[in-house]
Amino acid sequence: MGTLYSEIPSWMHRLPAGLKLFLLALSSVLLLALSDLRIQALAFAAIALLYASLGAASRPTRRLVVVAVIASALVGGLHAATGQPWLGLASGLRLVSTTMLGAMLTATTRFGDLLGVAEWLLSPLARLGLPVERLALQLGLMLRFAEQFFVQWQRLADAYRVRTGRSGGWRLLAPLTIHMLITARKVADALAIRLKL
Amino acid sequence: MPMTSEHHTETRAQRIAMVALFAALLAAFGMIPKIDLPLGVPITAQTTGVMLAGCMLGARMGFQAMVLFLAAVALGLPLLSGGRGGMGVFFLPSAGYLIAYPMAAAVAGMVMRALAGKHSSPARLAACAFAASVAGGIVVVHAFGVLGLMLLAKLSFVQAAVGTLVFVPGDLVKCALVALIVHTVARGLPDWRFGGRRL
Repeated sequence: MGTLYSEIPSWMHRLPAGLKLFLLALSSVLLLALSDLRIQALAFAAIALLYASLGAASRPTRRLVVVAVIASALVGGLHAATGQPWLGLASGLRLVSTTMLGAMLTATTRFGDLLGVAEWLLSPLARLGLPVERLALQLGLMLRFAEQFFVQWQRLADAYRVRTGRSGGWRLLAPLTIHMLITARKVADALAIRLKL
Repeated sequence: MPMTSEHHTETRAQRIAMVALFAALLAAFGMIPKIDLPLGVPITAQTTGVMLAGCMLGARMGFQAMVLFLAAVALGLPLLSGGRGGMGVFFLPSAGYLIAYPMAAAVAGMVMRALAGKHSSPARLAACAFAASVAGGIVVVHAFGVLGLMLLAKLSFVQAAVGTLVFVPGDLVKCALVALIVHTVARGLPDWRFGGRRL
């Protein structure tokens, strides 16, 4: 499974992942706290310029930004319909700005680098019982299981079609769940032996 | 002491595998095409996975599975319906619904555990799963969703609440689907600890 990271280099690729994450958090908090339309418009213009400066590197995230623009237009329209057009404009600009900030981080930071920062940030949660130190292992397992879901679904669908001549559709969900639960139990046994968990 | 230690290690391994499995289930549900509604909030099959995680795994592991899934999304994997992912999705008007996932799974798990008895029949477990899914997958998800619409899109409570009501009929169908799956699993795997209940 691919990520939304862009291999096409840009100036933002050279910044450390932790710094980018910190700047994203800081700027999005500021954007949420400030409601003045002029500030929102200025921030939007600056962020749009930054986003455009990434050039082709922004390509994997452009669809998300388009979704944000459409959603913002609808939110703005709703505000306008209730007699608050300026609030609608400010809210719409904020939504697109923050989405572009997030998109910039995702497009220019490798999955592994973000994972490292996330593990460091989440380490205090280990005290609450969250298996933070095993985040990389869990993510790997998750992606493998996601693949397995499709393989198993295909097998069940083929078997159902051979038996009945029809497509299984939602009827396959419950047997698929049972298959996957049994698979997960086997994986747990293997993990317990190999990793001495 | 070797028995205790062996039992403990097996439980940890199972926890890791099950948490990853249900996070993967959400990712798989993300491949089912979404239907976009006004306000930029899509109808997706993924909340079915949230309800199922709570009912099947219980509060703690259901919560962990959802945190794992959201971490993968935040790190840039395009796992949300429509191939969305990355930090940007947490700033869309629908972010409240997304952030609700861990709490929704936890509440569904708690309700499932509270309602499901030690020797419940598959039919009773299915009814419990329906109730747990309504509590976690509808009440909690929509409460967070409305809050998100109010904070991020600056909508009034009434505007946000009216906007979110559109999803409720579809969500009730998802609750029924979860009940059906729980019924089948209860018959196929009678030793399954739904909602983390004691057997």
